[in-house]
Amino acid sequence: MIRLWVVIPAFNETDVIRDVVKGVRAFYPDVVVVDDCSADDTVEMALHAGATVIRHPINLGQGAALQTGIRYALGRGAQYIVTFDADGQHRPDDINVLVDTHLRTGADIVLGSRFLGQSENIPWLRKMLLRLAIIFTRVESGLKLTDAHNGLRMLTRRAAEGIRIRQNRMAHASEIIHQIARLKLTIAEAPVTIVYTEYSLRKGQRLSNAISILADLFVARLKK
Amino acid sequence: MIIQIVLIAGLLLSLLYGIVQRQRSWLLSNAIAIVSLSGIYLVVFPERTNQVAHLVGVGRGADLILYCWLVISIIVSMHLHLQILHVQELITEVARELALTGARRSE
Repeated sequence: MIRLWVVIPAFNETDVIRDVVKGVRAFYPDVVVVDDCSADDTVEMALHAGATVIRHPINLGQGAALQTGIRYALGRGAQYIVTFDADGQHRPDDINVLVDTHLRTGADIVLGSRFLGQSENIPWLRKMLLRLAIIFTRVESGLKLTDAHNGLRMLTRRAAEGIRIRQNRMAHASEIIHQIARLKLTIAEAPVTIVYTEYSLRKGQRLSNAISILADLFVARLKK
Repeated sequence: MIIQIVLIAGLLLSLLYGIVQRQRSWLLSNAIAIVSLSGIYLVVFPERTNQVAHLVGVGRGADLILYCWLVISIIVSMHLHLQILHVQELITEVARELALTGARRSE
């Protein structure tokens, strides 16, 4: 049995978190939900579904929640860490696809790709935005990926110890890719399915976020 | 003139602040001191601003002061922005440590 922890960052996900945690735990029992100071019953729902719950005392953002979860999982001796979105857009059985891809390729990080796999009900504007993000990633990090901003990914312990997410908000996806390139970690992509529900679209990224992500990344460069 | 006294008083305060900052950052301290002393000089001899302005290719002394003020404001804003980001990082670390000590599980 591999020691795999699933990290789920969550913010106001009462409606879906229970099913998401239960779905994941059907395959992998070690689930940590990092509640980013939700105002609803996310914590209770996640606890009820059997997850370990860590609650940020203030809202810090998804990137910060991921880093907190990764820290916790490393502390619990995880050999593999999977990051999984709370809004129900990932399929729990896709974690197996990530694991299989790792076992086959030996890559330090396996990234889920909706463009290798399937994306159901993807709006055209989102598709275009994601394509642009892929081009941006290619130029910025030199990594040729088919999907740069997928919340479903698997890190080996070595990779998780090396990567340090400092982008608290949404720029963390680009930051992770940047650090993968810098740390010279090996990477593989696995086909996964993204289910765009009305709920996940409402909670998801908008065009205006893309602009603030670029601004965050620019400022991060200034600080170095 | 009253305005000269007010401006010089303000610039002296700024000079004092610059000197106090010496231990924190030598560069910042000197920059503040130079700006404050130049300011005092130009308040005492306002006609000099026109000469300096012509020297660097600006029409009027008042315009030159305005441009300098603009540049200084941008630098100060960026500096403050970076400081805020640094404080945010510290807050994140504190909040994370606090969160990690309170991990819960329903058994």
